[in-house]
Amino acid sequence: MAAPGDTPTPVVPAADGRRLGQVEQHDTLAARNSRLAPGDLVTLKVRRSEALAGDAYQEFRVPYQKWMRVLDALNWIAENAAPDLAFRWFCGSKMCGTCAVRMNGREVLACWEAVEPNMVIEPLRNLPVVRDLVVDRTRYEEKVASLQPWIERHEPYAGFPEPLTHKEMKNASKALDCISCMCCYSACPVIGLGNLTDFAGPAPLVQLGQTALDPRNNPEKVRRSIELTGIFNCISCYKCEEVCPAHIPIVSGVIEPLKAKAAELAPGMARHSFALRDIVARRGRVDPGELILKVQGLRGLRNLRRIWRLLVRRKINPIKTLLGIRTSAAGAAARLLGDGAKKP
Amino acid sequence: MKFAYYPGCSARSTCAELNEATHLVAKRLGLDLVQLESATCTGARELRAIDPAGFYTLNVRILALAESHGLPLMTICNTCTLNVLDAHAAFVSDPELAKSVNARLAGENLHYSGRTKISHFLWVLHEDIGEQRLSQQVVNPLTGLSVAAFYGCHITRPPAHYGFVDSRNNRALERLAEILGCQPIEYSGRTECCGFHTAAHDERVAIKLTGKQVLAAKTGGATTMVTPCPLCHTVLDSFQPEMEKDIEQKLDMPVLHLPQLVGLALGLSPEQLKIDRHMVPAGVLDRYAAAQSNAPK
Repeated sequence: MAAPGDTPTPVVPAADGRRLGQVEQHDTLAARNSRLAPGDLVTLKVRRSEALAGDAYQEFRVPYQKWMRVLDALNWIAENAAPDLAFRWFCGSKMCGTCAVRMNGREVLACWEAVEPNMVIEPLRNLPVVRDLVVDRTRYEEKVASLQPWIERHEPYAGFPEPLTHKEMKNASKALDCISCMCCYSACPVIGLGNLTDFAGPAPLVQLGQTALDPRNNPEKVRRSIELTGIFNCISCYKCEEVCPAHIPIVSGVIEPLKAKAAELAPGMARHSFALRDIVARRGRVDPGELILKVQGLRGLRNLRRIWRLLVRRKINPIKTLLGIRTSAAGAAARLLGDGAKKP
Repeated sequence: MKFAYYPGCSARSTCAELNEATHLVAKRLGLDLVQLESATCTGARELRAIDPAGFYTLNVRILALAESHGLPLMTICNTCTLNVLDAHAAFVSDPELAKSVNARLAGENLHYSGRTKISHFLWVLHEDIGEQRLSQQVVNPLTGLSVAAFYGCHITRPPAHYGFVDSRNNRALERLAEILGCQPIEYSGRTECCGFHTAAHDERVAIKLTGKQVLAAKTGGATTMVTPCPLCHTVLDSFQPEMEKDIEQKLDMPVLHLPQLVGLALGLSPEQLKIDRHMVPAGVLDRYAAAQSNAPK
């Protein structure tokens, strides 16, 4: 404590390491809403379709009005500068899920996003463009239909009121907030890889979660649906959660509970997860060599060049792997993960 | 400054150099690390999906171990960090869960009361060491070293934990690089995903996702990449030959663990920091190393 009369040492406030950049990048609602004043010009570079503008970005300057949203700017352009600009919207209030676009590389609902001084506006990714900002949602809708997202009771209707608790419905009810805006589908990097995997993508999984996570649904039907999702190809990047305007915890509240269903109903899909659990339960920590061998079998040995590289740099330790050497955490893991590992 | 230190699995196997570098750098910075030897894996992405009860128990146990030392927890892996953050959040919001987990931990006289502060090493540098002290410790400014920061996902998403509207606005690594004297570069891959979590069953996804980002870093003028996550490091470093084949271009991009970059600026040598344990040779960094390393061997 400073003695009376001393000049107190200026205290440099410790930075919040978790949020560095948030202030200077205007990454809060308040900051974004106060960046512009009425009369300022907002610049939009809008991606136009090839047939209309030579597959280019067309620039527009729009006079800012208080509380202006991306949708207001697009409507101003349609009324004053480019009557042929194609974009979808209906409710204007975050309900219909039709107005999603990419603004500066981020998926947003045009009706719910404040304009920024400079914006690049593009159609959603991962879906074919019909014209300008309008995408063809068929691919998504067909996938959802193939997952049969409805409830087939496996027990007779118990009568009203049904014995359902909030806890049982926790995840399904979160998924029910989905407005099918496709923001997550556009943001998903695995969907961005096209047909490389059979991953259904976040939006179809959320649609499936609405009923597959409902305890009244027939497990056999849920199993058939989940088997069509390639759900274990989700890389857990949380990009879907980041852009979801309905704030659905897509990874932790939908995809992971669906993975749990898969592990229970179609354990063959969860081989990687069971392998990891088994290794941790026995050794306490992951042995990467054993994980690869358990998940890939002999396939894991086919890239001899890489194995050699890994050996030379001491990245893998075959002796530890083959002798099943336990770590200092093995005792605790064995106790806490129960009687041996869950087996498929 | 004392921390309970949880290295995780990767830093004790595939990326053992990360653990060694962390200890060396911590010593330099005056951080006293108590390594939690009996701490298990946090379960990666797998356990939390198929066995939530097991997941919460293992992670709360790590928090309880830190609490038993009366220390904040320091991590060095993004996925471990998010796992303990998630377990902590569930523990404090669900009294039933808290009770059942503590009952399982009682067997070894452990108890969690929900008070452990969780910090990744990156946050410790900014929050506990602080910019001022850190810059005073830089004896070998890495002037001219252009660095591409690769954050990975779990240190900047989901928004529920980190509060970014757009995770690309995170500047923690760039700010750090500047303190160390480096020139951070802008490129498309900063907060992209490395695809590690499905690589054990399908590495093609990881290779496709990262090849273009490493190329973007190279095109943007990066001499090296740096990442706060050993899982990202494993993909970026170990899969580079496969990425090169996939994009039909040479990459030769060294990838550093965060403590290694800090260590170079603190005067530690590449040998001490075990940079030679990486798959992609990082000889290009030798000229940025301190002329004569003054670190205790």
